[in-house]
Parts: sequence; structure tokens; C-alpha cells
Amino acid sequence: MSQDEPLLPDDVEDKRLMLLVAGGDDDALRLLVNRHHPRLVGYLRGEVGSLATAEELAMEVFIRLHRAANRWRPEAKLSTYLIHIARNLVLNEWRRRGRKPTTALDSTPEPGDHSQTSARRLNELDEAFQRAIAQLPPEQRTAILLLVQQELAYEDIAEIMDAPVSSVKTWIHRARARLRELLKDFYGPA
Amino acid sequence: MDNSDQSTFERDLSAALGRKAAVVVPGFAERVVEVVQVKRRRANVIRWSSWITTAAACLVTIFLTKEPSEESLIRQTRALLASDESAQFNEILGLANDLSVLAPVIEKSTLVDVLTSPGS
Repeated sequence: MSQDEPLLPDDVEDKRLMLLVAGGDDDALRLLVNRHHPRLVGYLRGEVGSLATAEELAMEVFIRLHRAANRWRPEAKLSTYLIHIARNLVLNEWRRRGRKPTTALDSTPEPGDHSQTSARRLNELDEAFQRAIAQLPPEQRTAILLLVQQELAYEDIAEIMDAPVSSVKTWIHRARARLRELLKDFYGPA
Repeated sequence: MDNSDQSTFERDLSAALGRKAAVVVPGFAERVVEVVQVKRRRANVIRWSSWITTAAACLVTIFLTKEPSEESLIRQTRALLASDESAQFNEILGLANDLSVLAPVIEKSTLVDVLTSPGS
């Protein structure tokens, strides 16, 4: 949510759609959801481990976005704002469950044009990474997902996580080290 | 730590997470819009019922606290007077009072004294 950055064309389009949503335009809401739900569901699945729960939470994120459309600040990036809401919902979900989502993740093979062998190898690797990420402490998991998966800047991650940039960098460093340790069978000891 | 291992690890990490970065859910936008529309309808129903209840309460209050007009007050007074028999009672009771005034005011003991006096 860096306010100094110039708005990109995508951000301008988001702003236009959000103004329409605030005016009660359901078609604009539909467009907005179609633009943003894939990455949001991807992030949430990384956090909670289950696609069904990720979808439920993403639904709640968009309902909250719709409710807050009038109060949304146009200078903020919508994608970051959505992940901010999603992160809060994830924290609530963990509190509700009374435990962290450290169970194995859903493993759905992604469609692709690889040969069967390389597809199997990719799936194995993906599953190994997903399992390892699920074992990270929550802050480390969120930080690494936002940096590597969602390709957000450190400043945006810090804002989403309500933490200083230095803490984010520490979490990411520790996450990488922990992942190396958990995946030593693949990459050798760290 | 081997640099090539590290770079392979970084590359695989990015690739593994990148492949899961976006999940397209067919019909998701439609579901969101449906939920929003249901919530909007529910909110409208609540808003209208609240408005109607308030309006009804206002009407009842107005009806109960409405001051009668002067003409209505005169008419009501006349009706009360017409149905009131207290004036007739007053007339009778007033007459009774007058009669009691006419009755002799003589104390019994005084009368006995007069009759028994030696000169009577």
C-alpha cells in the first residue's frame, strides 16, 4: 500500500471499478472479482492449506470489500488491500480453529504440457515445498508467500503484516533457512 | 552451503510457489455477486421494516397526543351537560336546604324551662 508509487494501468482500472462498485454496480463487482480472485485464492490456499477453506475466505474478502467500497482509499493498491483483508481473516481462522494450519495441503495436479515423468517430478517437488511451507511458523509462512508467491515488495508485506520491514526481512531469511532444512533430502544440508 | 544448490533451491521455491500463485475458480465471481445481492435484499427488507415500524409508531403517537379543536371541546361539553343529571339533584338538594332554614330553631331544654316556670 505504498502511496508514493504511481498508479499502474491495472490500478487505474481497479480504481474505476471500485467507484462503480461503490455505486452499486454488480457487473463491476463481477469484473473485479474475476481480476483478483485467482491470486487471492492462491495466497489463501498457501496459508490455510485447503482449497475449500481458501474459497470461503476469499468469498468473505470480496463481501467485505463490497461493504467497504465507499471507504476504500483510491491511492491504495487494491491487490494489496485485498491481501490485507485476507491476512486478517486467516488470523481469525487460526484463532477459531485454535491451532495453526500445519496439516498437509491439498495437492491438485496443475494442468500443463509437460511429459508424464516431468509432471510427476514437478508434483513431487510442489508437494514437498507445500508440506515444508505448511510447517513454517505463521509469520514466516505469510512473509515468504507474499514475497515469493505474490511478488509483493517488502514495504507492502510490512504494511499487510503490520510489522516493520526489518521484521519481514528476518522472517523471510528464517523461512528460507527452515525450508532448506526441511528439504535437505532434495538440496543437501544447508 | 553449495551456491549451485542454493540457486537451485531458490529457483525451485519460486517455481513451486509460482505454480500455486493463482487458482482460477470457475463461477466464483457469480457466487460472490449472488451473495452480495442476497445481503443487499436482506438489508433492504430490514431497512423498510424499520422505517414502517417507526412511521407506525409516529402515527400512533400523533393520534394519541392530538389536541381537540375548540369546536370539538364545546360539542363535548354540551353533550356532557345534556347527559348530566347533577343539575336536577342540585335543584332538589337546594330546596331541601331552604326547608331546613325554615324549621324552628328551639332547644328542647329551653322549652322545658318555660313550661315548668312558676308563672306559666
